Amino acid sequence: MKLDESEVESEVENTWCIGCGNFGLLNSVKNAVKKLEDEGIGKDRLLISAGIGCHGKIFDYLNLSGLYSLHGRESVTIQGMKFANPNLKVMAFGGDGDAYGEGLAHLIFAAKRNADITMIIHNNGNYALTTGQKSPTSVQGFKGPSSPEGSVDEPINPLKVLLSSDAGFIARGYPGKMQHLTEVIVEAGDHQGFSLVDVLQPCVTFNDTYEKYNELVEVLDEPAETRKEAVELVEKEERLPIGVLYKEKMPVFNEKVYPEKNPVEDRMDEKERFEAVKKILDEKR
Amino acid sequence: MEDEDVFTYMVGGKAGEGVKKAGTAATDLFLDLGRESFQMNDYQSLIRGGHNFSVVSTSIREVYSHHMEADLIVNLDERSRKIHEEHLAEEGLMFYNLDDSEERDEGLGLPLDEMAKEYSKPDLIKGVAGIAVLAAYTGMDQKDLEDLIEKEYSRGVEENLSFAKEVYKEVEEKIDKTINLEKGKTDSTVLTGNESLSLGAAAGGLDMYIGYPMTPASSILHFFAAHKDDLRVMPIHPENEIAVANMAVGATVPGARVMVGSSGGGLALMEETISLAGMTEAPVLFVLSSRPGPSTGVPTYTEQGDLSFALNQGHGEFPLIVASPGSVKEAFFLSKEMLDLVWKYQTPGIFLTEKHLSESAKTLGLDLDFSDEDGLETKMADEDDDYKRYEKTEDGISALKFPPSKDLIKWNSYEHDELGYTTEDAETVKNMHDKRREKNETLILDLKDMNTVNEFGEGDAVIFTFGSTTLSVREALKFTDIEAKVVQPVFLKPFPIWELERYMDEEVIVVEQNSTGQLAKLLREKCGIKPKTVIRKYDGRPFGPRKLAEKLEGAIE
Ligand SMILES: Cc1ncc(C[n+]2csc(CCOP(=O)(O)OP(=O)(O)O)c2C)c(N)n1
Ligand code: SF4
Repeated sequence: MKLDESEVESEVENTWCIGCGNFGLLNSVKNAVKKLEDEGIGKDRLLISAGIGCHGKIFDYLNLSGLYSLHGRESVTIQGMKFANPNLKVMAFGGDGDAYGEGLAHLIFAAKRNADITMIIHNNGNYALTTGQKSPTSVQGFKGPSSPEGSVDEPINPLKVLLSSDAGFIARGYPGKMQHLTEVIVEAGDHQGFSLVDVLQPCVTFNDTYEKYNELVEVLDEPAETRKEAVELVEKEERLPIGVLYKEKMPVFNEKVYPEKNPVEDRMDEKERFEAVKKILDEKR
Repeated sequence: MEDEDVFTYMVGGKAGEGVKKAGTAATDLFLDLGRESFQMNDYQSLIRGGHNFSVVSTSIREVYSHHMEADLIVNLDERSRKIHEEHLAEEGLMFYNLDDSEERDEGLGLPLDEMAKEYSKPDLIKGVAGIAVLAAYTGMDQKDLEDLIEKEYSRGVEENLSFAKEVYKEVEEKIDKTINLEKGKTDSTVLTGNESLSLGAAAGGLDMYIGYPMTPASSILHFFAAHKDDLRVMPIHPENEIAVANMAVGATVPGARVMVGSSGGGLALMEETISLAGMTEAPVLFVLSSRPGPSTGVPTYTEQGDLSFALNQGHGEFPLIVASPGSVKEAFFLSKEMLDLVWKYQTPGIFLTEKHLSESAKTLGLDLDFSDEDGLETKMADEDDDYKRYEKTEDGISALKFPPSKDLIKWNSYEHDELGYTTEDAETVKNMHDKRREKNETLILDLKDMNTVNEFGEGDAVIFTFGSTTLSVREALKFTDIEAKVVQPVFLKPFPIWELERYMDEEVIVVEQNSTGQLAKLLREKCGIKPKTVIRKYDGRPFGPRKLAEKLEGAIE
């Protein structure tokens, strides 16, 4: 299938529940991909990955190349792609159970090393695909099949965790404001370094948050000036600011450990490799 | 048929006293004489104190493994002297530290602590004594010793030279005989198994190495990190083994040849991803260097307890390639061959080895002759093909295409159709299983044309072994009159039944380094071979060749 002859959205049957926040997210991604294309980031060099959950189905709904990963590991999969060929643009879709639970360590380290990747998290406050159990971002008292009497633990604040892990780009979006979400995703894609968009995604079946978000969401005009102010923004519960919350440009991982080299695009040929190996063998004499 | 021409040197002391370094310098000294050697380092999982030793066996013929009967033992402390008392060969010389051990009738003592006290690194410098004693005992010129010290101990060389000369003079005066080591014709390289497999992979076009430290695999990561500019293999050390494995799978999508490595515990964490590699058809080579398990086990020692673990990696059914080198040299060629194989078959492979091979150093001549084309090319898609990542083909292998590309290239962890979209359709599920199984069948056809089993020697007795134990068995056979053929399956999955079936009715002996006889079980299961005797060792220490020779004699009688 040729990418330039096909729509961004695939013809695979969409099985998300009617009214699911994922639809707005998918639309925003579609529009963002087109905008990124206009900016010169073609679909031929945009690779995606996804975790396992309702969110992950977006991998099939997009006619984009990549690898549908394991539960919690998509952030590492795309780092592998990026480090192998830094000329690619990479983006992964995760869930809150997936990226903030099963794979949280990976996110923290991706932020810390400033891998040049973009993460889009479908944060719906539950494990939807496995029938609505509590997730790391479920509110205390959340009732699901594994916590029939209400979950006892406090939710984590993933954006605060990531801001304290030196994340260079943290944003929040809401599918109820699709146009805005599109712009946020484009800006995340444009950012050089680790970027993450936490999407407040209502799950109509297990955690319908439309009403709450419609009331609390508030578009932020400018990112916070300092990391500290950004932390204050993500700690707010009475209002939910959306938009780019924090943005700071820093050197990216592959440029730090392997400057100006591209593992797959500028390889040594066989002769050069043999010579390099022989030289080391000679030193071991 | 005692092979008297092997000279064994042992040096022991606390961690932080330069024991391993002394072993390495000894190997270098022997190499200067044109002699072959094998160096085994025995150390504990600690940074200071404890007991470490390094043992080097040398000869003018190839030495496959070290011996535990030493002709010269240099003990830097009393604990070492006590431990190695039993390792002194007849007429051997025991050197000890007079500041820690009582003066004895036998052997030779010097007040090492007292002598070392004068120097800025009194602990570390003690190791230099190890090499000075060896030089004096083998009648080496002082000038040659100085050259050796300058080469091997270049950091703080003035102090090292001065200390070495002091020890050398004392020893020279006090000993009544020196040993003459015959000169050989070796002009080869000294490599550890880990260095060898790393260099082989680099020669074979490795683009990235990803690892999380775990003995005995850590030195592979260190090697690539030290050589990133000259070998041009990007080294990455991420947060944990799960990241290691998934990063590797991701890196194959744009076409990077990537290898990862760990020991049993780390590989266990990677297992879900090995299965992912099977499903997505991601060619990743996993190095598994074993140490005694279960669990954290005995980190710095050796065992072959992970054979079944390696063979049974990954949930679900998919082609998995497992092979294990029987020598440091084979490690070099096998890593390249396995890279080619995992790429041709787009499936994970496990390069199984053990601490004894990973971290022991051996002299070996290597010439980088890969010229005989192995026919293991990666199948690439044509530019204008109507590309399908998982296209059904006769041999089960779909062509690869790497982004950037105008084609849709979807790799999928879920069961998928030919384009790579998720499916639950019964027929497609079945077809894709068939496709992966067909790949395995094609793989077996390829293996049938390749060298999958090594055989050494001739004789009525048949001894089966694998991996690093091959070293011990081959060396042991130098010390017995037994005429035996050693059979070492290099490939363990797919198991080369076609090569081994003919041993079904023979009385075979199996030698392996684990407690349950995993190779013996595999031979029984796959080839109907019923081993007569299974010689096992599972105390973390490699077989000593002479003791193993006695066991073999007992088994063959
Ligand atoms: C290693 C592993 N553990 C568990 C599962 C089962 N599983 C699939 S999706 C999921 C949770 C999904 O929750 P989330 O990531 O929040 O995604 P959502 O479905 O809400 O979009 C789980 C536990 C799995 N696929 N893999
Ligand atoms: S269960 Fe929730 S997250 Fe999943 S599709 Fe339905 S509404 Fe969306």
